[in-house]
Amino acid sequence: MRHPHRVRISLLLSCFLVLCATAGGKLCAEETSYLDAVLKEAHETAVHQDRYWHTLLHYKKGLFGTRSLVDDPRFFLAKDGKYDPEAELDAFIRAIFRNEMKDGKPAACRFVARYDWVKERLRLDTSRIPAPECENFNEPIKSFDSLLGEMQPESVTLAFPDAHINSPASMFGHTLLVVETASKSKLLAFAVNYAAATQETFGPLYAVKGLFGFYKGYFSMLPYYGKLQEYSDIDRRDIWEYPLNLTRDETKRLLMHLYELDNIYSYYYFFDENCSYDLLFLLEAARPSLNLTDQQRVWVIPLDTVKDVVKEGMTLGAEYRPSQTTKIQHLASLMSKEQQVKALKIAKGELQPDQALGQEISQDEKIRIFDLSIEYLQYLHTRKEVTTDVYVERFLKILRARSTLGGQDKEEYAVPVPPRPDQGHGSSRIGFAAGSKGGSPFQEISFRPVYHSLLDNGKGYREGAQIIFGDTALRYYSQDNKLKLETLDVINIVSLAPRDLFFKPISWMVNTGLTQRIMNDGKDHMIAQLNPAGGFSWKNSFLGLYYFMIGSSLNVGGALTKDYAVGAGASAGLIRSITDFWKIHLYAKDTYYGVGDEYNYFEAGLMQNLVLSTNSSISLGVTRSRTLSFYQTEVKCGVNLYF
Amino acid sequence: MKKLLFLLFVGFMVIGFSTVLFADQKNYGCGLGSMAWEGNDGLISQVSAATTNGSSGNQTFGITSGTSNCTEYETWTFNQKVNVFVADNMDSLAKDIAKGKGEHLDTLASLMNVPQKDKAAFSSKLQKNFSRIYTSEDVSAMEVIRNIEAVISST
Repeated sequence: MRHPHRVRISLLLSCFLVLCATAGGKLCAEETSYLDAVLKEAHETAVHQDRYWHTLLHYKKGLFGTRSLVDDPRFFLAKDGKYDPEAELDAFIRAIFRNEMKDGKPAACRFVARYDWVKERLRLDTSRIPAPECENFNEPIKSFDSLLGEMQPESVTLAFPDAHINSPASMFGHTLLVVETASKSKLLAFAVNYAAATQETFGPLYAVKGLFGFYKGYFSMLPYYGKLQEYSDIDRRDIWEYPLNLTRDETKRLLMHLYELDNIYSYYYFFDENCSYDLLFLLEAARPSLNLTDQQRVWVIPLDTVKDVVKEGMTLGAEYRPSQTTKIQHLASLMSKEQQVKALKIAKGELQPDQALGQEISQDEKIRIFDLSIEYLQYLHTRKEVTTDVYVERFLKILRARSTLGGQDKEEYAVPVPPRPDQGHGSSRIGFAAGSKGGSPFQEISFRPVYHSLLDNGKGYREGAQIIFGDTALRYYSQDNKLKLETLDVINIVSLAPRDLFFKPISWMVNTGLTQRIMNDGKDHMIAQLNPAGGFSWKNSFLGLYYFMIGSSLNVGGALTKDYAVGAGASAGLIRSITDFWKIHLYAKDTYYGVGDEYNYFEAGLMQNLVLSTNSSISLGVTRSRTLSFYQTEVKCGVNLYF
Repeated sequence: MKKLLFLLFVGFMVIGFSTVLFADQKNYGCGLGSMAWEGNDGLISQVSAATTNGSSGNQTFGITSGTSNCTEYETWTFNQKVNVFVADNMDSLAKDIAKGKGEHLDTLASLMNVPQKDKAAFSSKLQKNFSRIYTSEDVSAMEVIRNIEAVISST
């Protein structure tokens, strides 16, 4: 701790005129004239328009002029700082000269990146301004320099935890930055994460609030091993790591900006100002030549930001970190059914590890059985299917047995690396098709802003997961010379999670939107529909991925006699890759409507997709449907382009 | 009537859909469920927690997530980072030691300044002495570190 006198003395020394230097806030005459000169130069050269100033303050041009995307007033020094880059710059320059405090420390210490840049940009003569005493403040938040000394940051990796197959709230995946340190261990690196802070547990409210910016988003940082426990072990998500080519200086600049954002909030918007978007400011702060935050689309999908970063040439390859679930599935695939059952029994406490040890099987087989049972027991525990007490006792017992078997040096444990997600098809799709419906020829144009269907090229995407938003198809029927909205899938999500010996997930789907359906007058009419369903799916090499579901259905539309119909039904289908480039989906569904209008609707179809390239494909579909006694057949062929 | 039905439909759609989708979701993803780490403690305090504040050795097995926020205790033979790392990764480390290899074991070796050439011997020694390190169900992180030290200093 320095003595308060010292501060006073250093201030005195930094001032040339002794007369006026009695308190920290006042300036001596020479400083005042220097301040004026600096402000003048800043105005004349329009420094506040500099892109980097806008990056550091998160200024963006909007419909109503420039404003910062940061909402926390503590982020700004000027009263109108959120909307006025020039006033904010002036206030900051004054704060440097006057050694003003912000959040319990000098502004120059609180906003280190701004200080560093302004000093450089305006070539400030630091001997003529008070030196910021960053170390003197015994705050909960340390000075940037001492944190830097503790962390010893070296490099940065962009991490992309994949979507979790059965969790819609994480359906687009997530991105975070991992700051590696001198210790070289990935686990000890720091995970930098931007997320909404909320304790809300009521789903629907959560969804609405998240969409409309009711939550405050904050940056957080914790050891990467903590994040790995969350994503890989608990959430069962594979992680892709993209090491970035940021230099040590650039890494330091990234952290300087992160330091400024400590405990600063921005309102969180699920679709655009989300976890992936805000991280981009850190990358721009690190490397000013980047332009990542001026996005073209109105929504930000984590995978798209990964693609942008790859496109900028910032990545040095990609590394795959399989989740615990993936590891379990891979390990099991190496073993016979009989051995898998043994591992399962050990994990469930039905077979004692010692008994398994005594069996006459090879050492390698024993090792595999134990390794699988250990992973699976941990999975059961994170799923709360065994209590912690039981888990701990069983866990130790298995580990003790395993520790007597020696090492396992074979490469077989390495999970085969799947195709990189950034190399998959583009997340938006446009389609051109022609066909015939009930004997009437049509041409169709369709646009799907987001994201992936069961039939699309699966490379880089999760198998069995379909996420569609806003899929719209317009048709021109030449016989009637009519342009019609054929379908509008507002939301169409399918999650097929196959069941096996170890995992017993539920599969489900929900789709809502508008569609043309033949009604009791034998003609097509527009109806609104909502169809949720749930069931099971399995996978085998002969059938591919196949499913059975039961569900309910609500129809609303003027063509219905009572304007609505509520029904229940069942569906089944299979999705199979015939070759690398050829995939089919065969399905049937039958629904009985009993409340409101009473009718029966049946539909069966065979849809096919032929991949031409990563971003193009040909689709062929045949469907046959029946409403009451009206049958209708549709045949369609088209080309899809992804971007 | 049509209007009312339409409104009902929209209401049904929103509630039905969001209940199906977002009920009981515990999520850390980019989606609606993104949760800041333990509320929103400042990120800097998290750095400090991870780099300076030791966590106590009273953590046992069954800790599947989270950095330990326990009271500080005196510096152990190895540095504070070892204490924090072992306390936060009890299960994963136990697993690696029992298998004789793994990322957590490698990290422990680095933290304990084991030279690269000795890492294999270090791992295999710990594996052989697993029962001496993880002595009981309620062994603490501090005891584990102490036991590891005893194992590697024994010949």
